[in-house]
Amino acid sequence: MSARNESDVRLARLLVSPATIVIALVAIFPLGWTVWESLHRHDLRLPWLGQPFVGLGNYARIIHDARFWGALGHTAVFTVVSVSLELVLGLIFALAMNRAFRGRGIVRVAVLVPWAIPTVVAALLWRFLFDSQAGIANALLLDVGIIDEPIVWFVHAATAWVPIILADVWKTTPFVALLLLAGLQNIDSALYEAAAVDGASAWRQLTRITIPLLKPAILLVLIFRTLDAFRVFDLIYVLTGGGPGTSTEPIALYAFNALLQNLQFGYGAAISVVIFLITFGLALVYIKGLGAGSATGVER
Amino acid sequence: MDRSPAESQADAPVRKRPSTSSILGWIGLAVLVLLIAFPLYWAIVASFTPEATLFREPSLWPRTIILDHYRALFTTRHFWVPIRNSIIVAGCTTIFCVVVGSLAAYALARLRFRGKGLILGFILAVSMFPQISIVSPLYLMLRALGLINTYPGLILPYLTFAMPLTVWLLVGYFRQLPPDLEEAALVDGASRWQSFVKVLLPLSVPGVATTAILTFIYSWNEFLFALSFTVGPDRQTVPVAIALFRGQYQVPWGEILAAAVVATVPVAAMVLIFQRRIVQGLTAGAVKG
Amino acid sequence: MPSLPRRTWASALALSLAVLVTACGGEKDTRPVITYSGSAVGSQGETVRRQIERFAKLHPAIVVRVQPSPDDATQRHQLFVQWLNAHVGDPDVMELDVIWTSEFAAAGWIRSLEQYSPVRSDFFPAAIEANIWDGKLYAIPWYVGVGLLYWRTDLLDHAPRSMNELVQQAERAMRAPGGPPYGFVWQGARYEGLITTFVEYLGAFGAEIMNDSGKVVVDSPDAIRALTFMRDEITSSHIAPPEVLTWHEEETRFAFQNGNAVFMRNWPYAYSLLSDSSQSRVAGKFAVATMPAAEGGHPTTALGGAELAINSYSEHPEIAWELVQYLTAPEQQLERAAATGDYPTRKALYDDPRLAKALAVPIAQVRTAIESAVPRPVTPIYTELSGLLQIQLHRALTGQTSPADALHEAARQMNAVIRDSGLDEREVSQ
Repeated sequence: MSARNESDVRLARLLVSPATIVIALVAIFPLGWTVWESLHRHDLRLPWLGQPFVGLGNYARIIHDARFWGALGHTAVFTVVSVSLELVLGLIFALAMNRAFRGRGIVRVAVLVPWAIPTVVAALLWRFLFDSQAGIANALLLDVGIIDEPIVWFVHAATAWVPIILADVWKTTPFVALLLLAGLQNIDSALYEAAAVDGASAWRQLTRITIPLLKPAILLVLIFRTLDAFRVFDLIYVLTGGGPGTSTEPIALYAFNALLQNLQFGYGAAISVVIFLITFGLALVYIKGLGAGSATGVER
Repeated sequence: MDRSPAESQADAPVRKRPSTSSILGWIGLAVLVLLIAFPLYWAIVASFTPEATLFREPSLWPRTIILDHYRALFTTRHFWVPIRNSIIVAGCTTIFCVVVGSLAAYALARLRFRGKGLILGFILAVSMFPQISIVSPLYLMLRALGLINTYPGLILPYLTFAMPLTVWLLVGYFRQLPPDLEEAALVDGASRWQSFVKVLLPLSVPGVATTAILTFIYSWNEFLFALSFTVGPDRQTVPVAIALFRGQYQVPWGEILAAAVVATVPVAAMVLIFQRRIVQGLTAGAVKG
Repeated sequence: MPSLPRRTWASALALSLAVLVTACGGEKDTRPVITYSGSAVGSQGETVRRQIERFAKLHPAIVVRVQPSPDDATQRHQLFVQWLNAHVGDPDVMELDVIWTSEFAAAGWIRSLEQYSPVRSDFFPAAIEANIWDGKLYAIPWYVGVGLLYWRTDLLDHAPRSMNELVQQAERAMRAPGGPPYGFVWQGARYEGLITTFVEYLGAFGAEIMNDSGKVVVDSPDAIRALTFMRDEITSSHIAPPEVLTWHEEETRFAFQNGNAVFMRNWPYAYSLLSDSSQSRVAGKFAVATMPAAEGGHPTTALGGAELAINSYSEHPEIAWELVQYLTAPEQQLERAAATGDYPTRKALYDDPRLAKALAVPIAQVRTAIESAVPRPVTPIYTELSGLLQIQLHRALTGQTSPADALHEAARQMNAVIRDSGLDEREVSQ
């Protein structure tokens, strides 16, 4: 058996190398550069200041930066709300797509297409839908009688989040649905048959069989959706630009502002490193929380 | 109908869940599908509408229909070119990631060796840096390698977010499949490689197909790298081409929406082709002998 | 005679083809190449391409290429920063937004043009001022944009002569039967356009963002009055709909174009679109004027437009300078004015009858507008200062804070940034 283990290990190294080496080659320099920049003061507009080493100076500045914390707060709220909605809706669609019925191909395509639309176009679309005069959202709400006057969605912080979250949910629920659908394939139908025989209701089957067995897929959804939601940029940039004021500004937009608008590469790099640390930390929390072994096989 | 029970089983739905058979469930689903499809419907309608009309009053039905936007797409904008570029870049990224990624995923899911967590963690961590921060150094690097405005010059950076997705999805999927069939094959004298190719892979078609679709769409949508690493129309992808439609102040809504509608066609086609594969007909019994 | 075997024939053919291809197609083009990057879309793009082709014909020893970059200011800025930060030599000639010149000059990315002895007095002083850093000229003004007041001639009989009159006229027209829903539409979203609108109000009340010695004075009492007036248009006289706080240029144009507004503040580009009777409901029913003043101020327009600069890392700076000179020559500026309505930057052209014919707007009005144009502060950190000011302005206009508090906070933050950069010790050219 140990001979098999040795050959296994050799095979494993061989199989894993292409992926790891390619990623390392492409990513090592950019990541290293970002970390290195974050330790220096580097303002492209003021080259006479040089590029002095400031250690953790940029990070200290971040801690005292109220706008950073505001952006972080917005991003956190956005992430929690949209990922939760997407998880619920995605599960519903996954369950639906799993069934065989006439026209299922069309439904599957229709559900997945929003994700294929470039983010900028989707954002423009939703901006239009929520335009206070020409948009359908107000027209429908007025017709149904829920409101008496058109709402100017993008002018108030509270209402501005509605189109943002709806646009994100609309666009990325397909991704969640697809992931959960793949997870559903691994659940043995015999379990459901047995439960039906025992007289379990549909809801019990859902909560006792489906969801627990979907944990690995849910873990993947949480990791990747949180990763993406935390770095949301294009969507909010087109919809509100971060306004009104800075009420909808996410952390990635603030980093973009620092890096490519204010040309402060050092500070922008530090913000990026902080974003990385937060998302990595969250991923670790998810893995610990939902069981390390379930998705990664690391427990062995 | 002369069909064996096994064949009938293949066509029957996998799930026998009485709950969603209820009318309420179907209605709820229909409403949700309508809500998802509605913006798409509106986008299609708008792409046939003259712009001045768009901004006047909202309407659900097209009042006037013009083909100008679509015509402009293929005459003045030469929209075939970015579509071709997007297909090549997203396609190559997907193929490379799925092939290389599944090799790595198999090792990480089934074989024992040290450093698994480290490798998985590294692969994931790489994709967690915001793109805006790594775009500048990536540009410097690609420029030094002479890869600006080339297909490899886009595919390589795309691997930083596509490969982690592929590897993690496939590891998760492989882990879920019961190892009994592979063990049986090993006992029968097959090598690890053979058990991978002949046993595991055929069983994981849904997972691989799903991963392929996800990776493709992810790469299809990508904007920042495509904008930064291409210089001319001959290598620009669809999102970049659409961004370039804009004038200084003017946003040609009609053409942008028409372009978006046209650009979803290859993706929708791919999904239609693959959509049968992402759901399994049979759960077991794939191993011969 | 035995014929040669087929394989030999094939090889011989292949070899000769290879030699042919190398001999003919392999001749490398050793002519110097210069690249231009700027607007390449629409009528502007067509005109520029035409002019570049003519230039190429006049200089057969050079190859000129056009490298498209997005017209969206933020995206173009991002790409230029990326290329220049990598010390890339092309594009050799770049179209810059008027507020980028000092930033790029300070970063060392564009060449000083002093060595070519450009004649500054040919151009409007405000446009030249915006392109000077450290006492040197770094870009040539290509075309100017100025903020204009568009007004409905079918609803009013004369353009307003003061800000108060503007408000009264708007209210009256809105209240009249069949009157439009909006009185005055302007760009109020949280972006650079908001600053250009604000600068006009500032000037109308006799205030400014920065004074001539580079000190931040955006929280002076006059400035607070200006911002209060702006806010009151939304909350008190209601001539401006709250939507303006989410609008950019196009949304305001469509509102005016559909006949829904009495006044609009916008750039010159809207004029020809509004005159197109197939699209516009106000074709023939509007005119332009300069923004009026209030007490203590003078009519002010914001200076916009584009400049042409030469890449510091360009391998052919002299040829690049030739292209810049050509594109900004009187003939080309006239041609562009006729094709796109972009206003030339050369003063002398405004006495030329050909320009009067080319522009749809009466030439005297254009000249008055340009002469009352005010550049935004010329400093490498302008984008950062503008961002801070935008946030506070927007918060005041959306009612999150009072105009006085907003401007004091903006001034405080702007001063902190200036101190931090060390620019207050260097000479800031204004």
